[in-house]
Amino acid sequence: MANRIKEFRNKLNLTQDDLAKLAGVRRETIVFLEQDKYNPSLKLAHDVAKALKSSIPEIFNLE
Amino acid sequence: MTLKQYQVVKITFVVFLAVIFSQLIDGKNYLLPIGVMMAGSLIMMLLRRRVNGVVADERDYATGGKAALLAMQIYGWLAASSMFVFYGLKDTNPAFEPIGMTLAFSTCLLMLIYSAIFRYYNRVKLMDGKLIYTVAVLVFFLIMIVVAFKNF
Repeated sequence: MANRIKEFRNKLNLTQDDLAKLAGVRRETIVFLEQDKYNPSLKLAHDVAKALKSSIPEIFNLE
Repeated sequence: MTLKQYQVVKITFVVFLAVIFSQLIDGKNYLLPIGVMMAGSLIMMLLRRRVNGVVADERDYATGGKAALLAMQIYGWLAASSMFVFYGLKDTNPAFEPIGMTLAFSTCLLMLIYSAIFRYYNRVKLMDGKLIYTVAVLVFFLIMIVVAFKNF
């Protein structure tokens, strides 16, 4: 599942640690998400999208 | 306390506990280790609460689940095959028989506990009879423990 987390995070000038704190996960999880090595739950996808002031379809691409 | 500090403290504490635990067992003291383990768990729980930030998230739980399943399968295969070896060699050394039996029963117990917990999370958690299921499982395990000790 491709995603645009890094792009949106850079737009908001957030570090991986900042995003992790906002989404309520560990920094490593953000690293795995950005590298497409982990498929998040719906809740985590929602929390990440919310932290990046965006929506799930904008951040995550299921195709 | 940061997560890294917590991890360092946790490892140091576990090593310290293991040393105390083994020394007490070595000194033929079998009640104190239980107290040490309970106190250790309590201290770890309190330390965990003092950590600023997330200690474990959904990825850790998912990884933990996979690791636990794999560990259980590896242990099951190893214990079952070792059990056959020990049981087959019981004539060469009588001490091998109880070792084989312990391995066999511990594997069965592990499978039963896994099945009970799996069923709970897979189906029962969503149903109304959670308490009945939990009590029934506890009673079942209690009966098993009593029967095992009676036959011992």
